[in-house]
Amino acid sequence: MNYRITHSTAYHYSQAVGLCQNEARLRPREFWRQQCLSSEFQVTPAATDFYERTDYFGNQVTYFAVQKMHTQLVVTVTSDVAVYPRPEPDDNGQQTAWEHVRGQLQEGYAQTPQLSRELLDARYCVLDSPMAANSPVLAEYAGLSFQPGRPLLEVVRDLMQRIYRDFTYDPCFTTIATPLSEVMAHRRGVCQDFAHLAIACLRSFGLAARYVSGYVETAPQAGVPRLVGADASHAWFSVYIPGIGWVDFDPTNNKLPFDQHITLAWGRDFADVTPLKGIAFGGGQHSLSVSVDVMRLT
Amino acid sequence: MTTANASVTAPETQATGGIGVQHYATRLGSYDEMLASEQKMLPYWAQFIKTLEEMGSEALDSRRHEAQRLLRENGVTYNVYGDGQKLARPWRLDPIPLLISNEEWTVIEAGLKQRAKLLDLILKDIYGKQALLKKGLLPCELVFAHQGFLHACMGTIPRRGKQLSVYAANLVRGAKGQLWVLNDRTQAPSGSGYALENRAVMMRILPDILRETRVNRLSGFFNIFSQRLASMALHNKDNPRVVVLTPGPYNETYFEHAYLASYLGYTLVQGDDLAVRDGYVWLKSLAGLQPVDVILRRVDDDFCDPLSLRNDSRLGVPGLLEAVRRGNVAVVNPLGSSLLENPALLAFLPSLAQHFLGKDLILPSVATWWCGQKRERDFVLANLDKLIIKHINRRQANDLIFGNELSSAEKDRLRAAILAKPHWYVGQEQFSFSTIPAFIDHHIEPRNAVLRAFVVADDDGYQVMPGGLTRVPRDKEGVVVSNQVGGISKDTWVLAGKTEPTPPRTTRLNRPLILNPIPEALTSRAADHLFWVGRYVERIDCTARLLRTILAKYRTSQEYKDDLDDHCLAVLLQAFNHVTGSRLALANGLSASPQNLLADLLVSVKDAKKTGSLSANIQAWNYAAFSVRDLWSQDTWRSVDSIQHRWQPRAMTGIEPLQTSLDELITGIVAFTGLINESMTREAGWLLLDSGRRLERALLLVALLRSSLQVKHGQALLQQVVEAVLVATDSFSVYQRRYRAVMQLPLLLELLLFDPSHPRSVAYQLQHLSGHIAGLPRETGKSRLSVEERLILKAYTDVRLGSADEVLATNEEAWGYDKLGWLLDSTRQLLWQIANEVAQAYFNHAQTAQVVSIKTLAEDEL
Repeated sequence: MNYRITHSTAYHYSQAVGLCQNEARLRPREFWRQQCLSSEFQVTPAATDFYERTDYFGNQVTYFAVQKMHTQLVVTVTSDVAVYPRPEPDDNGQQTAWEHVRGQLQEGYAQTPQLSRELLDARYCVLDSPMAANSPVLAEYAGLSFQPGRPLLEVVRDLMQRIYRDFTYDPCFTTIATPLSEVMAHRRGVCQDFAHLAIACLRSFGLAARYVSGYVETAPQAGVPRLVGADASHAWFSVYIPGIGWVDFDPTNNKLPFDQHITLAWGRDFADVTPLKGIAFGGGQHSLSVSVDVMRLT
Repeated sequence: MTTANASVTAPETQATGGIGVQHYATRLGSYDEMLASEQKMLPYWAQFIKTLEEMGSEALDSRRHEAQRLLRENGVTYNVYGDGQKLARPWRLDPIPLLISNEEWTVIEAGLKQRAKLLDLILKDIYGKQALLKKGLLPCELVFAHQGFLHACMGTIPRRGKQLSVYAANLVRGAKGQLWVLNDRTQAPSGSGYALENRAVMMRILPDILRETRVNRLSGFFNIFSQRLASMALHNKDNPRVVVLTPGPYNETYFEHAYLASYLGYTLVQGDDLAVRDGYVWLKSLAGLQPVDVILRRVDDDFCDPLSLRNDSRLGVPGLLEAVRRGNVAVVNPLGSSLLENPALLAFLPSLAQHFLGKDLILPSVATWWCGQKRERDFVLANLDKLIIKHINRRQANDLIFGNELSSAEKDRLRAAILAKPHWYVGQEQFSFSTIPAFIDHHIEPRNAVLRAFVVADDDGYQVMPGGLTRVPRDKEGVVVSNQVGGISKDTWVLAGKTEPTPPRTTRLNRPLILNPIPEALTSRAADHLFWVGRYVERIDCTARLLRTILAKYRTSQEYKDDLDDHCLAVLLQAFNHVTGSRLALANGLSASPQNLLADLLVSVKDAKKTGSLSANIQAWNYAAFSVRDLWSQDTWRSVDSIQHRWQPRAMTGIEPLQTSLDELITGIVAFTGLINESMTREAGWLLLDSGRRLERALLLVALLRSSLQVKHGQALLQQVVEAVLVATDSFSVYQRRYRAVMQLPLLLELLLFDPSHPRSVAYQLQHLSGHIAGLPRETGKSRLSVEERLILKAYTDVRLGSADEVLATNEEAWGYDKLGWLLDSTRQLLWQIANEVAQAYFNHAQTAQVVSIKTLAEDEL
């Protein structure tokens, strides 16, 4: 499936900003299930220093600076992306018990003389990260899904379903800074909280889980015209199964992403893949508005 | 702890007055630096101790005092966190150094060089190919779980050449005399500056002994250090600009940052003195942006760049990592180096030494078991009693857990914590310390010793400072040597071998001498502080002089009970309130009782919490001066210290001690301003400092004249007030010499307001301020006057065009001199505008950076 994504972020400042530096992870990354056909970056006022690189996780990072006085900054990225449907894992992978996966992650050295990059990255994602650290409360919550001998895919599907069922989607309740303990205590949050929650749960059982930032295509209701720009960023998580690779789960929608999820970047948690962060000198008060449009190309 | 009987074979000692060698009682089973393990004094100690014995306890104690005085006067301090009362705590130095024989030092030196080399290789591998992790030579959890591993730094550390430029290790000695490395300091090792200063002080207090003992000099190390920093420059190699990045005056080792910057000749900067533009790092100086090539940083890794690392950091430079990544600036040590401080790494160094170097470690580490491995974890859990447990991430200065000190419930909790996140913990052997004689209460006593040694890279490899920083705890059984908890430092004497000691510091021969000196790169922050040093100094001076005049008048009024004195006193007190912003209760002139008045005055002098009090101004002045510590000459700093040191509000209990203190204060201030004028080059720094002085002096003078003389007084009172104002402005004798007349208002105004040749007049201040402002760096190519130039021109012209006759012209019924009031008010307003304009134009660093990013992430459901 092909999509055109227009992601626009506008900052308004009460006082002029003389210099701002930014790091964006707004170009969709390429991997076996996704191809980025084109991606255009537009910064107003024009960026004077524009540099691109790949980060530790392989994401596309854009560094840019605006070095003249401005009171408004608009960053718009328009990307055309081809997403290929997720293949069903073969029977072998389907049946791998979670304890077995944990063992494989822990004893990687015994099996091969040299760890692959993939396994090294997976082991990084077993450990706590600043925004997705495990705790006894989370482990206890997750525990219900972890029956002995249960295949990992089933465990994660069950965990995703429970999060979907037990937690209320509430955009007013949390911010980026809300800790997981609070999300857990009030059973409310948004997509990034649910993703962090699931990641921390899996990590508390010694499994590798990572955070995926991206977009999801929203289907308009029948008869209602599609609203341009009404979409938003999305986030979900991915779990590692040796032999199969990373498998995505969307706890906000209780779905295994098939071909409607467009991936921007992945990392240990939100902090690793923040779509756009910046430091402005001056500026006084600032406000920010984001608009995202995901359009299916036919 | 058991005490061994002191069967010390001491040299011939005097019966009395010695330093107590015969009573030196070492601890059973521990190694002593002086006696080794056989309780027989080592030969190289014997000579040294004999000299001290001959010198005697009293003499040595006075040398110790002398050392403390020197350290204090040189401003050698160590800031203690959470000590709100005093910013800086004096550094303590014990007069007895640690002596290390040349033979032993050769081993230590080789061991440290090897270790530095090994750590450098590990660092480059982890931020590069990660072959160690892939091959399992280092478990990846050990690296990933340590907060020093910053994935943003991946690929930013070049593979070629040594990247770990500076390194320090803490060494302890076991019971049998063997040396262990306790821990490694790699991101921004501190202490070398203190070691250097310790040596400088030892040279002052024990010059003969130091000379006779043939001790290796330290300066060569710093020579290599500065060459190393210069050689790190990636551009501009001929004349690189090196800056020292400090977290600021509140940091515990701020003294050292300023000291090293000044010793090595670099600019001391804080994060917001630097900016990244076009991928390069720039120094925001008064003369505009100046490129920076090398940053010696004393800010921790993750605080260095709020854009790529911790975004709550206010100490860093946004975009710094980007500049590093593009190869435009070198940071020493490279960002990410703190991963080498992971204590779990100690357990793997022997095998890594084999892997990289094919050799055993020359200097072993304290035995360490990382709980991320099953066998090691089981061992630690089974031996909690015998071990020290550490979290691999250093969170507080001293988060060591001594297993044997835990209750069984605490042990259970610790076990559970280890089992929950085993990779976070290490167990370490409860290492023993060697003891060393310390001079405590007039005699020597053994104290546990830790030696910090310093290493720097050069072209060929690594060089070790032939010396170091030895630290001992204050208490006999203490194990924590940090100055934070009252530890005492010692000089470390590495005895020269058969070859000559290191040659003294020389100029670099491989580069042509640069005759065009680098223009003074004064950061706008430093400029701001200098300006305020000038302003505060005048506030202190003016307040002190006015107070002195008030106290004299108070005494007269108490003595003679003359109404006129009382009235004059009331005028002066009102002026005091007006000038200093104090709020002395003066509702009805002098209706308050004299006792109350005196008490009020004392509060307004002593209470540092009251704005405008002398104590508050002295504190603010001291802080501003401390913030640019690197810019003062030694003598100037000594005068700063002496003012601060002599100002003892507690002793000011009545008029007399207060008067004495004020006299001393004024003398101190005069010495300080004199030293400034004698030692500072007439560049931007001095111009701003003196502008601050001129501006403030003019403002205070205007306030004094406005509040005391704008109102008409009766003839008799007027004479008294005129005299008092002349005294308070140090102009009385000038007046008498010049006019030989009774006190008259027009003559006073001629002298204090209009006469540009009198250094205490308003006209003089404005004239000089005008010259200074014209001399400050500004954007070139502008023929028009700047705003502040225009303002000062107006202020100066208004005053120059005025005359006493004119401003005093008034009709009989008027209660005051309106025209004088107008002139003073307009001058005051212009001065305030000038202060604002100068701040805008030159101190613009205050524009703060803020993080802008999404606070919430809301999205539609599918």
